[in-house]
Order: sequence, then structure tokens, then C-alpha cells
Amino acid sequence: MPPPELRDRVLAAVRAEPMPSRVSGSRRAAVVLAAGLLPSVALSVYVGGPSTADRPVGFTVAVTLAWLGIAAVATLAAFSRGTSMLGRPASYRLAVATFTPVALLAASLVAALFWPETLADHSTMRDHVVCIVVTFVCSLGPLAAFAVLRRRSEPLMPRLTGAALGAAAGGWAAVTIELHCGHAAPDHVIAGHLLPVALVTLVGVLVGDGVLAIRAKHG
Amino acid sequence: MYLAQRLDALRYPGLLAGPLLRSRGKRLSVTARTEADVAMEAYAGGDDAAFGTVYDALAPRLYGYLLRQTRDRARAEDLVQQTMLHIHRARARFIPGAEVTPWAFAIARRLLVDSLRRGRREVLATDDELDGRADRRPSAEELVQARELATRVEGVLARLPQSQRAAFELIKNEGLSVAEAAQVLGTTVAAVKLRAHRAYEALRSALGDALAGFEREKS
Repeated sequence: MPPPELRDRVLAAVRAEPMPSRVSGSRRAAVVLAAGLLPSVALSVYVGGPSTADRPVGFTVAVTLAWLGIAAVATLAAFSRGTSMLGRPASYRLAVATFTPVALLAASLVAALFWPETLADHSTMRDHVVCIVVTFVCSLGPLAAFAVLRRRSEPLMPRLTGAALGAAAGGWAAVTIELHCGHAAPDHVIAGHLLPVALVTLVGVLVGDGVLAIRAKHG
Repeated sequence: MYLAQRLDALRYPGLLAGPLLRSRGKRLSVTARTEADVAMEAYAGGDDAAFGTVYDALAPRLYGYLLRQTRDRARAEDLVQQTMLHIHRARARFIPGAEVTPWAFAIARRLLVDSLRRGRREVLATDDELDGRADRRPSAEELVQARELATRVEGVLARLPQSQRAAFELIKNEGLSVAEAAQVLGTTVAAVKLRAHRAYEALRSALGDALAGFEREKS
């Protein structure tokens, strides 16, 4: 049996660090998520805001809506723990991390079947680099929000959880760049819009290890 | 008879009691709501006083587990406190209907692994610390035999792959069900059954003569 004074110590520590109940915690989570998305939206507006550029309006709307749906599903999937506080199985988290960029590419290619003129590639290396940088930077806000909400809460497979959250954050950033970028050719979409999703997925692995994982305190 | 009790108290309850995966009275049903589940639900819902009940339901088992693993009372207490604080911090995130026990053990195990990575096992607990259940004083010969056997068991377990050892200890020492152990270890029920069975077989083959001696003594 643990010594009685341990109970007193634990309860004193709990009283010294009050935590919100579920209801007020949900409100805080909504604020954190909004705060995480705000810089991405601001950056997207700063670099030009929503624009169809040379793309057909129908194509732009279709791809944006599809990517929006994929980002939302990826976020729900990455965030959801199911019915267990220990979260989903490893295969589930890996699938979210892997299939998010694949689903984004598939949606873009399917849309291109209906608007084949978008397959022509007029992008330059500079366009690729700009989109990579903007997409990557736009993903950092959502990823930071996800990390804050899940900080030190993953006893199992934190890296995989981080990867899934990274892919979801990358999905939102891909939506913001898709709203702005005028290039829809697969080469550019892969290099400029989806490569950074893969990069932020890898950053998510590091975040999982460094921020999400439960660590013992010493001293 | 006494030797079996000593063995039970020292580390390996139920080693001689029958098939490894046999149902035990104190095990929890996977679906049954435990006192800890109900109390945590109340705590997440805003009942501050319920955390004391969560502590009372979890701390003795966590302390026993951590003390057996660390053999250091101060460290075990510290890890119990950290585990309970992690549970407290997850108050707003607690999923209605989620099981608390596997989650608590997974946090404790993660903290333990992290703690052991950073330091060594330093202070060996006395047998009395590990054994609150012996109801009579042993003879010197019984004590020596029990210690020898426990040392051999520890040696065999130490040589096992970590995954097998962890599965065996969670089920046999901590009284978790196979499903709960699977959750704690982040794997499937079938994998845990296999690992625990292999650990049991390794113990049985390595300690066959000693076990036969115990069984003769018990009868």
C-alpha cells in the first residue's frame, strides 16, 4: 500500500494545479484551434488570398472542397481517441499519416479528369519553392495548436500520433495554398503542395517525441 | 506451503496456480465500469472531490506495480504522484465511458521506462516492503529457498524479450486482464496472449525442477 502521506501530497499537488472540467476544456480547445488556424489564414490572405488565377472556377471549387473535406476528416481521425484514452491502434495512426497526402493527390487528379486543361504545367521552380514555403509555414499554426492540446498526453506511440497530427495540419495548409495558387498541374501539386504535407508529417514525428510523449520529471 | 506464499508475495503470484490465462476473481471485466471509471467520469464532469476516489482506486495497484519494477520506494511514490497528476491534467480530455485502469498503467509504464532510461535502479527494497501478505514468520531455510527461487525466476524473466516480460508481469503480477494488458502495451489481445504464454513456457521449462519441488511441498 502506498503511504498515507502520498495521498495528501498528490491531492495537494492537484489542488495547486487546477484543471478545467470537460465543458470548459472544450471551450479552451476551440480557442486554441482557432488561434492555431488564424496565422495560416492571415498568411494566406497576405500572399494574395483566395484566387482562381488561370484555373477553371469549377475545378478550383471542387478541389478546394475535396481538400477541405480530407483535411477535416484527417483532423478528426488524428485527434480522435475512439473509446479509449490510449487512442487508436498504430495501424490507424499510420494510415492517417500516410493516406492524407495520397488522398489529396487523388482528389486533385480526379478533378483534373473533368478539367483536363489543368494538366498543362506552366509552373517554374520558383513557383514550386514559394508554394513549398507557404504551405509549410501555414501548417505550423495548426500543428502548434494540435501539439498544445495533446501536450504530454500520449503514453503509447507518440511519434505516430504526431505524424497523424502533422499530416492533418499539412492538410489544412494545403487547402490554404490551393485557394491561392494558380497552378494545378500534377507535377506542381506534388512538389509544391503535397511535399510540404509530407515534410510537416515528419515534423509531427519530432513533435510527437518531444511534446506529445509523456516524460518523467526528475528532481 | 510457505514457499509458495513467499513466491507469491515476492513477485510472482499465481505462478503455480494453474494456466496462465485462467480467469482470476480480482481481474476486471473489460466492459464493466470500475470504481475508478465512475469516479474519473464524475471528476471530468466537474466533481472536484471525485479525484480522491480515483486516487484510492488506482494508487495501491500502481504503487505495487512501480515498487516491484523499481525496488525503490521513493521512486515508486514519485512515479505514482506523476501518474496521478497526468490523469488529473487529462481531466478535460477524458472520454466518457473510457477505461481508466489500462490508461493509468500505460502512463505509469511510460513514466517508469523514461525514468529507468535516465537512471539506474539504485535502492533495493527489502523483502518486507515487497511482502505485506506473509502471515507467519518463515524459517531460515524456507526464506533461503524462496529467495533462491525468486532470484531464478527473475533471472529467467530478465533474459526474456522485453515484450514477453511486460505482458507476463502485467497479467500475473498486476492482475490486469489480457485485454487491459493489450491496451497498456499498445498491441492486440492475441499478441499479448502469445507473449505471456511464451514467457510462461520459458519459466516453466527453466524452473521445472524447482516448480516440481514446490508442488510436492504444496501437496
